[in-house]
Amino acid sequence: MAEGQTSRLELVDLQLAQANRTVLEHVDGRFRDGAITALVGANGAGKSTLIQGIMGMLRPMAGKVVCSVPKERRAWLPQQLALDLTFPMSVEELVMTGSWPSHGALKGYCARHYRRGREVMARLGISHLAHRPLGELSGGQRQRALIGRTLMQEAELLLLDEPFANVDAETVEVLMTVLHEMAADGVTIIVVLHDMEQLARLAEEVVVLHQGHARWTTAQAVLHSQPTAAESARLALGIPGVGAC
Amino acid sequence: MLELLHEWLIAPFDYGFMRRAAVAGLALSLAAPPMGVFLMLRGMSLIGDAMAHAILPGVALGFLLAGFSLPAMSLGGVLSGLLVAMLAGSVSKMTGHREDSAMASFFLISLAAGVMLVSLGGSSVDLTHVLFGSILAVNTTALLLIAAISSVIVLILALIFRALVVECLDPLFLRGQGMQGSLVHGIFLGLVVLNLTAGFQTLGTLMAVGLMMLPATTARFWSKRLEGLIGTSILLGIIASLGGLLLSYHLSIPSGPAIILLAGVGYMLSALFGRHHSLMAKLRRRAAPLGAPETH
Repeated sequence: MAEGQTSRLELVDLQLAQANRTVLEHVDGRFRDGAITALVGANGAGKSTLIQGIMGMLRPMAGKVVCSVPKERRAWLPQQLALDLTFPMSVEELVMTGSWPSHGALKGYCARHYRRGREVMARLGISHLAHRPLGELSGGQRQRALIGRTLMQEAELLLLDEPFANVDAETVEVLMTVLHEMAADGVTIIVVLHDMEQLARLAEEVVVLHQGHARWTTAQAVLHSQPTAAESARLALGIPGVGAC
Repeated sequence: MLELLHEWLIAPFDYGFMRRAAVAGLALSLAAPPMGVFLMLRGMSLIGDAMAHAILPGVALGFLLAGFSLPAMSLGGVLSGLLVAMLAGSVSKMTGHREDSAMASFFLISLAAGVMLVSLGGSSVDLTHVLFGSILAVNTTALLLIAAISSVIVLILALIFRALVVECLDPLFLRGQGMQGSLVHGIFLGLVVLNLTAGFQTLGTLMAVGLMMLPATTARFWSKRLEGLIGTSILLGIIASLGGLLLSYHLSIPSGPAIILLAGVGYMLSALFGRHHSLMAKLRRRAAPLGAPETH
């Protein structure tokens, strides 16, 4: 990260383990405010582990996560399977739940919250689905609703785990636009990606996880060092090319 | 006609024992069905049954030590219910087995221990009273206890309502906010135990869970929304309680089973004729034309 740029999230000599097995160690780096950072790596490289560590759900074995973003402004969008789709909740109700971490769990929603909820749904093109149960949505519609919850939360740190998996092309475009707008507003965004084209369009910085270590680089460096289809495939599988980092 | 209605629906409540039974039924109907809705939505419908057995040893021990003292039996029930819930949770965590298998093991042990304790200290009449309750025998002390426990449950449920909803829908979102899902889960199970303790005096340990689960599972045939499920289940609970009492009075049948059976009849009728997912709903299912307005 260049001098003078601010960062609300820093990893200091971080070591993370799952079931007494070290997954990542000596992870040092800072995530720039208002930047979109792609997290790439093969299956089992530690992407989800790093996300859990950043969100404070996994206690570090050594080192620390220094994050000045308050808990209620941190949002994590896991893969869709984490949701119970049989739960009787509408799109509007899901979006509105984004406000309770900062508003408080006890107070009811006021007119301002409902107004903001409607704005968020309009921005994501899901106003017409406001009263539709979550279980009746397509993958793309559901992903828009979940992004709506993070917008409602006014997240300052947003972590996304493969947000474009199983969503339609139109939703990918809407989400890309919204994520760029959020970054322009100063939100720190970390996104797990497997697709080279999406990485090129979305991310400025890249963290490559490989053999228990993390390396910071830029999207430009990754793209220019891996121009061929074969190299693209390597990155999609999370295998960093020679000289990429 | 009016006279007949008065004789059937109002006159029985001229008696004090019927009035107290009605108030106890109403208090339980406000607190129990919402808990049942959440148990159902969490895929834990049978856990209520397991917890009902879990309170039995404590109730029996209270009975052995203090006789038919409702506070002592209730306290024993709460303690043994919480103990079993904690033990089941701990064993599940330690062994990695699912919580329901640990719960099933503990509730069977609890049932056997409870029946053994009551049999050691009392007669088969006492055992029947503990297992199946006696809503018509509710006195003022019992009524106050039931009303107080029901009020506490409704208040705590209101306090943890959003956390409970989020924990059901998306536990990771809750954890992301630094809230422990297991804490919410523990409080919720504690409320289930409290609820069953309030219900055992009236319906017995075995049937108290009926007023919790049957209105909730029936409501699923009438509403797709959470507030609809809760409202409908409370209404069904009230109808079952009052209707069961009246049937019991007029037909000279036991009141507890009458209440639960009436709720059961409601469930079966709803499975046939309900608005959603019922046999009738499946037969009359039509697809709305393209461009039709959304129905809520």
